[in-house]
Amino acid sequence: MGDDMAPEHDEYLEAEIQRLLTEHGRVAEQGITVHRREQTLILGGEVETAERRDEICRQITSRYPDLEIACDIGIIRAQAPTDVEEIS
Amino acid sequence: MIRIAAVGDVHVDKDVLGRYRPALDRLPEVADVLLVAGDLTRHGTVAEARCFATEFGGLGVPVIVVLGNHDHQSDQETEVARLLTDEGITVLEGSATVLELHGHRLGVAGAKGFGGGFAGACASNFGEREMKAFVETTEAIAERLGAALRGVECDALVALTHYAPVPDTLAGEPLEIYPFLGCYQLGRAIDSAPTALALHGHAHHGSERGRTPGGVPVRNVAHPVIKQAYNVYRLLSEEVDAGLVAASRTR
Repeated sequence: MGDDMAPEHDEYLEAEIQRLLTEHGRVAEQGITVHRREQTLILGGEVETAERRDEICRQITSRYPDLEIACDIGIIRAQAPTDVEEIS
Repeated sequence: MIRIAAVGDVHVDKDVLGRYRPALDRLPEVADVLLVAGDLTRHGTVAEARCFATEFGGLGVPVIVVLGNHDHQSDQETEVARLLTDEGITVLEGSATVLELHGHRLGVAGAKGFGGGFAGACASNFGEREMKAFVETTEAIAERLGAALRGVECDALVALTHYAPVPDTLAGEPLEIYPFLGCYQLGRAIDSAPTALALHGHAHHGSERGRTPGGVPVRNVAHPVIKQAYNVYRLLSEEVDAGLVAASRTR
């Protein structure tokens, strides 16, 4: 990843956070969306457990402590299906 | 009739243990086999593979998987595949297996696949050594998948990959990353055999249904797309066949 300086442009910040979420060993998520709206960073997507969602926010806050985060990351449901699709 | 349960991108680690199990315990009531379309683990470690085997093994029906890119992250894919095999899970990589189910032979050929993009926006085997290596990897994997599909003798043939064989099931993903999500060469391999159904994962923001240029139904079964423990697909259904026969007679 890049150096530890806070990036001066939003696009660089979004790119750095996207890579952090994939490459950090405690996160390893490729399906998280990262968007900047005014001063807030909005996180989207879904993960397998609440612990993984919380770890994402913890890692971003740890690296960019002045950044305000709005976390819209959901937990994917894992219930049994109720229907079947015919393939013909 | 053959009933196939399928899911991908379950990314199992210790924190996932037990999440899928209530739904998986009911799986033998609704399906004859479970196919998992790669990204079984988070980082591709042997410890995580053991967690996957604990969560998804011992179901009472055969479990067939391909590995995904996450399962390669720790460069332990050989050890991961060996552990899964030792636990009774069939791991496909440019290979195929045939199951006898209800008097029918279900053939499943699988490979991880790779990126490369689709018609109009695909990578070419040209230029830097790294670029040529990328496309050569794509082509080699697709060729092995095609050979595996064409080599199977069965009544119903299913292709299982992690990367997508068509762009249809990527709808919802940013166009810019399509070349990292799949390649047309996988679709061409699938169309080179009498494939009845193609299943893949990898595209978490993609969509569920598509079709190859040759007309094979494609389903993206990535967990964030299907939003349940697994989907169930029915092939060679006598009810459907009887219905079609009846409909054709009334014409």
